[in-house]
Amino acid sequence: MSVNPMAYEAQFFGFTPQTCMLRVYIAFQDYLFEILPVVETVILKKLDGFPGCKITPFQIHRCTEKFLLLMKEQFDKLFSKMEEVVLQLVLNIPKNVLLPEDKVHEQYPYSKEQFQVLQDEIQQLQQQYKAEVSAGQALRAELEEQKAVQAELEKILQWFDGLENICREHGISNFKESFAFLTQKAKKLQGVLKAVEKKSKKMK
Amino acid sequence: GGGGGVDPANPGRAKMFDTAVSSFLERLDSPGSYQHFVSCLRCFHELQPAVARSIYEQFMSQLQTYLKGKNEIEEVKSEGNLEALFSKLDAIVEEAKDREEPAWRPSGVPEEDARSALVPFLLKHRSYLHRILKEKEEENRKVAEAVLAGREKIAELQQLIRLRREAWQ
Repeated sequence: MSVNPMAYEAQFFGFTPQTCMLRVYIAFQDYLFEILPVVETVILKKLDGFPGCKITPFQIHRCTEKFLLLMKEQFDKLFSKMEEVVLQLVLNIPKNVLLPEDKVHEQYPYSKEQFQVLQDEIQQLQQQYKAEVSAGQALRAELEEQKAVQAELEKILQWFDGLENICREHGISNFKESFAFLTQKAKKLQGVLKAVEKKSKKMK
Repeated sequence: GGGGGVDPANPGRAKMFDTAVSSFLERLDSPGSYQHFVSCLRCFHELQPAVARSIYEQFMSQLQTYLKGKNEIEEVKSEGNLEALFSKLDAIVEEAKDREEPAWRPSGVPEEDARSALVPFLLKHRSYLHRILKEKEEENRKVAEAVLAGREKIAELQQLIRLRREAWQ
């Protein structure tokens, strides 16, 4: 008898087919062995009704034992045939059949290498993502700095604009030119003052 | 045994099981068995053939009735939920009927088999990562544009300030 472990069937049924059949066999056989002594008892009882007969209980016992052996032989043979049928046609999963729970294995028959490739891809994507996140943070940080700098620069511009507005309000149309003129004048005056001081020193 | 829509040419596992068991029980009572009985109990049979016959018949009938009705078969069926499993398996086999190549079977090495089970999850994860990476890249592209624009703006402002300052010299 080839030893086919019928593991796939066991996966489906929750027991191995052979175990199932064995259980039935044992239960059936047990009953057969239970019932045969009863036959013997009945025969012996019937014999009691024939006081003149020469058959001994021991003989009957031996006969029923022989019968038991023969019955067991036949029982085993017939059960074996039934077991074959059941194991081949009922408690079996044909070679071309895949259990629905195992669909995944047919859809994704990944070898070790292919699996590794997939894992590596994922690893790489994770690293790329992390890099993008860092880059994003750096960009945002610069954006924040820019805002601050822009604000400062605009304040300065506003201050300049403020100056011009003041001049306009007070009718000093060309404060800048006047300011520049005054600055020049002041410088000239300073020059003249110095010349005058020199002269006065000379005169003393 | 057997569910609805049963094709007589293809009785289904439940029916086959019951038939196999019934055949077995019937065949126990063969002319051969009776011959065995007679030859073993020749002395008694010669004495009382009718009685012997009746004892044999009673024995056989009791054996068959008991075995047939014996709850071992029913117990096995109900414990294992066999009726339901039989029709489920019939359906699965019917679906696969056009398929000729042998199907996958467990390799016996759990790590190998577990790999395929993981693959769908990894594929999902990979496409998720693709998606968020793309989104992040797009996001960063926009921020980078804003940063460049900001730099230009600052240069502009600095230029303007320089001009004003020069005008006041």
